[in-house]
Amino acid sequence: MAGWKSLKDMTVLSKPLPRLDGPDKVAGQAKYTHDMHPKGLLYAGLLVSPHPAARVVKIDASKVRRLPGVKAVLTDVHPTGTVRYAGEEIAAVAATSPEVLEDALELFEVEYETLPFVADIDSAMQENAPRVFANRPNIRDPRVRGEGDVDAGFARADAVVEGEYRTQVQTHSTLETHGSMVYWEGDELVIYDSTQAVHGVREGVAKFLDMPVNKVRVVCKHMGAGFGSKLQPGRYTAIAARLAKETGAPVKLMLTRKQDFLGGGNRPNSISHVKLAATKDGKLTAFYAKTYGTAGIGTNAGIRLPFIYTIPNWKHEHYDVFTNAGPARAFRAPGCPQASFVMEQLMDELAEKLNMDPLEFRLKNDSNATRQKEWRLGAKKFGWQRRHKKPGADTGRYKRGMGLAASIWWPGGRGTKATMTIYPDGTLDVKCGTQDIGTGTRTYMAMVAAEELDIPMKRIRPMLGDSNFPKSGASGGSTTTPSVGPAIKNTSERAKTKLMDLAAQFLGVPATDLAWDSGTVYMKTNPVKKLTWDELCQLLGTETLEVHGQWVEGLSSRGVAGCQFAEVTVDTWTGQIQVNKIVAVADCGLILNRLTTESQVNGAILQGISYALLEERHMDPETGTMVNANYGDYKILGAKETPAIEVIFYDEPERGVIGIGEPPTIPTNAAIANAVYNATGVRMYELPMTPDRVLTALEAHQFAGKED
Amino acid sequence: MIPNNFEYIRANSVQEALQLLSQKGDGARLLAGGHSLIPAMKLRLNAPETVIDISGIQDLASIHRDGGRLHIGALVTHRTVETSDEVKSSCPVLSEAAALIGDPLVRNRGTIGGSLAHCDPAADYPALTLCLDAEIEATGPSGSRTIAADDFFVGMFETALQPGEMITRVTFPVLTRGTGAAYEKFSHPASRFAVVGVAAMVTLDGSGNCSSVRVAITGAGPSVFRATKVEQALTGKAPDEQAISDATQDVADPADLMSDISASAEYRAHLCSVLSRRALQRAVQAARG
Repeated sequence: MAGWKSLKDMTVLSKPLPRLDGPDKVAGQAKYTHDMHPKGLLYAGLLVSPHPAARVVKIDASKVRRLPGVKAVLTDVHPTGTVRYAGEEIAAVAATSPEVLEDALELFEVEYETLPFVADIDSAMQENAPRVFANRPNIRDPRVRGEGDVDAGFARADAVVEGEYRTQVQTHSTLETHGSMVYWEGDELVIYDSTQAVHGVREGVAKFLDMPVNKVRVVCKHMGAGFGSKLQPGRYTAIAARLAKETGAPVKLMLTRKQDFLGGGNRPNSISHVKLAATKDGKLTAFYAKTYGTAGIGTNAGIRLPFIYTIPNWKHEHYDVFTNAGPARAFRAPGCPQASFVMEQLMDELAEKLNMDPLEFRLKNDSNATRQKEWRLGAKKFGWQRRHKKPGADTGRYKRGMGLAASIWWPGGRGTKATMTIYPDGTLDVKCGTQDIGTGTRTYMAMVAAEELDIPMKRIRPMLGDSNFPKSGASGGSTTTPSVGPAIKNTSERAKTKLMDLAAQFLGVPATDLAWDSGTVYMKTNPVKKLTWDELCQLLGTETLEVHGQWVEGLSSRGVAGCQFAEVTVDTWTGQIQVNKIVAVADCGLILNRLTTESQVNGAILQGISYALLEERHMDPETGTMVNANYGDYKILGAKETPAIEVIFYDEPERGVIGIGEPPTIPTNAAIANAVYNATGVRMYELPMTPDRVLTALEAHQFAGKED
Repeated sequence: MIPNNFEYIRANSVQEALQLLSQKGDGARLLAGGHSLIPAMKLRLNAPETVIDISGIQDLASIHRDGGRLHIGALVTHRTVETSDEVKSSCPVLSEAAALIGDPLVRNRGTIGGSLAHCDPAADYPALTLCLDAEIEATGPSGSRTIAADDFFVGMFETALQPGEMITRVTFPVLTRGTGAAYEKFSHPASRFAVVGVAAMVTLDGSGNCSSVRVAITGAGPSVFRATKVEQALTGKAPDEQAISDATQDVADPADLMSDISASAEYRAHLCSVLSRRALQRAVQAARG
């Protein structure tokens, strides 16, 4: 198989093209799961436990069943009858309208035996704290990893810094909540799902309902964000399927905003006790971390330490802690933004102790060759040399500062299949069972085919988001583009080969005598003898040409680097941080669509700022439930908080396609935190950096009250 | 997010609204802009049997000046207060403050009467009304009465309005030379309600000293309140930067303030000082013309 064309030969790929579904989305024509409204649709909803820990003694649904408009009720949806977080589903209803549904949900009479609970990590870790799981302690056994001799590493260091850092629980807060619209066609189940994995949901639901996989079809044409929270099949899908079976009608079950906040996934928090050391010439020698994190009733609350920089001797003990809260799920670069907050601030502290510039110090300890170049490129574009040498140098109420941090990511592409159907009129379909989670998959599918076949984009219909299409994996881990891009290229090449065979037959010459250029097949020895794309396709007569292809080695790779620079202004009267500018340098090999790739980086940075300054799940210690489970109290960054963002791509097209969705969200919080220190001389050890936390920290350093 | 069932009636005059109110009794609520009532109904925190829509009563939607008084009808929207030339010239601080309420959707629908009657502890108008020593006209079955702002705000979501009464207009003083006012607000990042909002009005005498000072604070406590310590400290004094700074050191005691996920009581107390200082400085500037 041939590799990708060189950048200069590309006419479609790597250009900045607007997404094909943009106009439909802007005009409200793109149909999301939430918008599905087939004739006879029933509206389903979940009754969830208001208690963080309780045994469900009795559910009396008799009043619910008597309400006109209620078509089906399920009271056995909880597998054990013991709930472990507020928001766990215990019953479900399907009704003829959203109004009846909401009335119906108020008519359940549930008897609970409430149990003691732990709402947050600090109370869960106390001695004699109530256990989340009766047979297991709240603090799990540690996972211990390391390299080298840590004690020796610290012993030969000239400077050591240590501290305790904390990050918060962040909820995914996808604009479209989790949910499905389902109906039965005989014994076949059709599911419209807001998902990052149409094939994964198909397999999961089939297993859960004990059905043959080929009797389940999952469709997701457009979806309103996932960020990792929609990688798995939901219990709500199976519940909707049961309600649809019982009623013989289509059923839509979307989680409410509050239910989504409580149970739809989150990024675990972290508490890190850390220590980092270096020699006086600026080489890192040792790192030690003892960390805790809660994934609620789930596990995998790890924080990826040490992070990015080369440290010969290190040890990391991590403890997952159970709390009575909704389970964490994969969230855009799991474990990494937390690690960045810790590691990059330690790096800055150590640099200051060694009297080195933070950038110089990083260059000495960063073994990634690409990032070495990116650091220098970014610093120049950003104007790093304008940075205050002395922290807190500005006098007066407003203080400006600059900071930086690095990013990294690992996974690459993997098995994906695709099909191309070419019609006699010269149009074609490209089908792949992947999904476009808002990142532009649909658009680059058409771009790859257009580039390979040298035909206009408008002749190509990219089709995805359907488990009836050839298999592709979940859209997670920034793997979609390096998986799907090569599969479409491979399918296009095979189509080309088949069309050339057809041309050879028609012209009566061996295929090896033919060449392909600009959508035309011609004879190498006599170029006037040729067939245009339209003529080629007409050779199909009344048939279509079906071509199958798949992901192959050599068109994608794994591993990206990157760095970000932040400039902030801190209002020392109120503690408010304003981010003025972010400069991001990113690499992802061959960029398929420069516009949507830039959008990915922009979005990642915005989510990073939101994490740094605004978002935090607040659990009420009295009731054990989340108190800000709505957008009015849980603030997510908006236009008002958006700074100037400059994205610089470091092109490495020779590496093939690599994903970029996750890495640029990693360093933003740390670059801001380091900029806040540079502005004020005060280090923030806890996220998010809200005005009251900043002011408290400033007051501790006697800045507050000193006004111009 | 769907209200309970309710009966909806549109009232075309104040008389009709009052009649319906007395007829329907406790289960009835007035609907003006709907930006407090409807969300509460959608969350089923409020489930009125009858909603009396007064938003079409034209008599309550006008602004007019009468000598030294500026009368604003109860149904005047925040957006109208923000943009009205009459308000801008007679009492500019009101326009400034109205521009800081919520977002354009809220400002286009929400009304001054609705905001005051609802009496949210973090709403902006209570601070302005109290600081500017406004008067609230309440109309009930037995006619209209005037309530001074100092007597109107009773507690959290609680006013001096009696059952069966409705606000028909709010009267503010026209600010003349020598008097200036300003409003400073620290907004919640999502809802834009005041985490703390401070309104200040200063009148200077011939020698440039403060003859009267009023400071009102919203968002910080369970209800809007006057910062009497600050007012007393500055009255009779020359309001230079030092005097204002001294007077606003300890505006509020954290023990009296609210603590919630948006801000601790200590942080609110700090904001009371910072925002009072800024509001007073700007009010003095305005008074000096």
